[in-house]
Formats: sequence, structure tokens, C-alpha cells
Amino acid sequence: MSITELTFEELAALVKQSAGVTVAPEDLRNASDVPFSALGVDSLGLLGIVGELENRHGVALPPDAERSKTPADFLGLVNSTLTTGV
Amino acid sequence: MSTEQPKRAVVTGVGVIAPNGLSADTYWKSVQEGIGVLDRITREGCEHLPLKVAGEVRSFDASTLIEDRFLVQTDRFSHYAMAAASLALDDAGLGRDAPEDPFSVGVVTAAGSGGGEFGQRELQKLWGQGSKFVGPYQSIAWFYAASTGQISIRSGFKGPCGVVASDEAGGLDALAHAARAVRRGTGAVVVGAAEAPLAPYSMVCQLGYPELSTVEEPDRAYRPFTAGASGFVPAEGGAVLVVEDEDRARDRGTAVRAVVAGHGATFTGASRWAESREGLARAIRVALDEAGCAPEEIDVVFADALGVPEADRAEALALADALGAHAARVPVTAPKTGIGRAYCGAPVLDVAAAVLAMEHGLVPPTPNVFDVCHDIDLVVSRARPADLRTALVLSRGLMGSNAALVVRRGDETAR
Repeated sequence: MSITELTFEELAALVKQSAGVTVAPEDLRNASDVPFSALGVDSLGLLGIVGELENRHGVALPPDAERSKTPADFLGLVNSTLTTGV
Repeated sequence: MSTEQPKRAVVTGVGVIAPNGLSADTYWKSVQEGIGVLDRITREGCEHLPLKVAGEVRSFDASTLIEDRFLVQTDRFSHYAMAAASLALDDAGLGRDAPEDPFSVGVVTAAGSGGGEFGQRELQKLWGQGSKFVGPYQSIAWFYAASTGQISIRSGFKGPCGVVASDEAGGLDALAHAARAVRRGTGAVVVGAAEAPLAPYSMVCQLGYPELSTVEEPDRAYRPFTAGASGFVPAEGGAVLVVEDEDRARDRGTAVRAVVAGHGATFTGASRWAESREGLARAIRVALDEAGCAPEEIDVVFADALGVPEADRAEALALADALGAHAARVPVTAPKTGIGRAYCGAPVLDVAAAVLAMEHGLVPPTPNVFDVCHDIDLVVSRARPADLRTALVLSRGLMGSNAALVVRRGDETAR
């Protein structure tokens, strides 16, 4: 199976689409420990991103994904799920 | 013992998003000129429905007025409310940012149906693609409370908030609720209502109302108080006001534009229009009583003007019951015949018109209405100059709510 990792580019596009928040991929990468809430992404916005990723990849993400506090946490969780194919 | 006078709730800001204007100024210019903007419905997906005429808010670009992070999670009805709230806050000189004391400002809106367009989009995903494709913001966007919540979040207001879901008349009930909050000590309340009933699902929901006009000629579709009355035409949009403690307003040097003086509300049952006579008359008496206002002091009446013969008759009789001989003399107007009825937004637009009418000394006319067949002095054709100190605004809902609000001119009541 093909392994697709979630990138900061893709996450930035999802943040824009699902939460209406514009953030540059570099800024996400450079400040990946800044909480989503500080970026203006609320819990429903993150839930929307999780749903979109699940639909795209046809996998269920762990319940903790939508509780991630920062982009770094989120990417770590999502990518470990996507790459292990669980 | 305190000799302090009770607090009074005054209007310091007016914001309007209406079919005939995207600001209070443009709205008033159209209202004053009696310009009718009812037109064929052009909204996508509505062409095949038997409701053909409405008051659409056109040239409204939400993306230029509301930030993306709010746009993704809100329906059109909240866009109108948020835009009107911004205008009202600007007008009141309060600005759009969080106030120094966030607990001093509250928000109250009324809503009749919530966010039908957003809801339809998500429900189509639910039944078309599956539950995993429904966005999480569906949980809040369609909801009646959405506009109150988003206005308060957007500006950082943390004072008392509320949502009134009491039918069209809820627009007036929301103002009364806000005025009470101010009298209890809240500095200011951002209050009003806006609706967006022109979308396929929302329109289908309205088709069952026997009071709905299905006349296809825009200038003949909504003509209350005439022999040609054939029901009402819906509209979208609404108005938001800033209602503030009078002393606070005067301390910060803001113009007191009107005083929210009295309110009354009753219920007489869905579509029981003959019975609304008694309910409306009682609401008027209660409002006059609270305002300490004699019937003869009412200088203008903004009528509910449903456009259903039985309901129009009941309203004319209710005025006679509550105002006595003065009912035949007082000028009555219904500017909403030019734009349609924006459900809960309609009476708030009328309050905005009443404030502006008192400021300009003009009773605006009732567009498209000429041959009045009731015993009231309905102002038609052109605005009538008059010294207006006190206005009475009436509203009834299709589900049976009746409400009356007395507003007085700001400069008339300085103390």
C-alpha cells in the first residue's frame, strides 16, 4: 500500500478549508508547538479536519487526534496512524 | 433610602441589512421614498417553487464583511445579523473590538427558523454521502442561538446573552429582554434579529403557511389593508440595535436616539387572526402602561400589516380597542410592504424605521398600498411630515404571538 504522510502544506490547506484560518505552511512548521486555539482553530474546526482526513484516506484516526493541542502533536498522531495503516 | 431614578434603556446604535439597503441610511432613504423592492426570487434552486416573490438582500458580500473563520461556521442568517451588529456598534461609537469591561455588554437576538441553507447543505451530505461527510459546524450553524453566540464571540462580549424564539413578534420581545437587562445593570446590549428564509429547504417549509402570498406580480403580492390583500411576502435581512443604559450613554457623550419605553406581549394561537384582535389590544395596553403613555401620545403606529383580510381587520380593531378615538386619527404606516416580512427581523426593522422617522419628523409611506378599506389613517404614496415624539410598533407571528413596543424620541426625554 502507498504511504501518504500529512505535510504542513496539506495541514495548512485543511486549516483554511475546515476552520477558515489562513496560516502559511512555513509558519505552521516553524511554530508547530503553538496551540491550535492560539491559531484560531477551535475544537469543531479540528474535528472537521479529522473528518476530512478520514474521508480522504479511508482510515479511522484515533480518538485522541481531535484532542491534539498543537500541529506537532496532531501531525505525529495522524502520521503514525497513516504510516502504520492501523 | 435611595432617591436614584430607575435606569432607562435607550437606543444608541442602529444597524440594518435589508432588501432595500445595506445600512440604516440607505434603508431609511428607501423607506422614506416609499421605494418597493419586492421582486421575483432569484436564489438558486428556488425557481420551481410556487412562492415567486420576496424581498431578497442583494449585493451583500459576506466575504468582505465577515472573517473567514466565522464564515465557515455560520449560515446566511448569522451573516446578516453579524453585519448589522457591526453597523450598530459603529453607529453607537462602541467599535467592534472587545470592550474594556467585556461583562458590560450583552447580546440578544430573536430567530424564527435558524440557518436553513447551511443545514440543507449538510443534510444533503448526510443522505447523499454519509454521516462522515457532515461538517461539525452543522451542530451550531443552523441553530436559533447561532447569531447571538457569534456576535458575542466576535466582539468578545461577555455580558448577559439570550435568544428569543417566540415567533415573528420575538423581534420586539428581544428588545424588551435587552431593555430589562439594561435596567438591571448591564451597560449595553446588542439586540435584534435577522433571517434568511430564501433557500430551497427554507422556502418549502414556508409553503404550508396559508398566509403566504403566491401572487406573482411583485407590486401586487403584498398589499395589506386593501381589498386586494392576498397574504404576505417573505423577506430576508433584519436589524440590530445597541440598547444602552441612558446614563452610560450620556456619560460617554453618545447621542440618545430613542428610549425603549414599554412592551407588551400576548399569545392567541396559530392563524387565529380574529382572536389576535384581543391579544394585540392587550399587548398595546400593557406597553402603554409600562411606558406611562396615554393613547393620545402615540404619534405614529408601525403596523404588523399581515395582508390577510381577517388579520388586517383584527389589527385595525385592536388599535381602536386600545387607543379609542385616537385610533382613527393617528397616522399608521407599514414600510414593510416595500421589502416584505423578514420574520423576526421585520419588527426590528420597523423599530429602526420608527427611530429614524422620529429623528426626521416624517411618517414613511406604505408602498404598493393605495385603496385602504379599514378605518385607519394609513399613510400611502409619500411620506407625511409630522412632529413625532412617540411611536408604537406592532408585530404578530404566524404561530400566534402578538407584541407591541413603545419607543420615544431621544431628545424628548432628557432628564
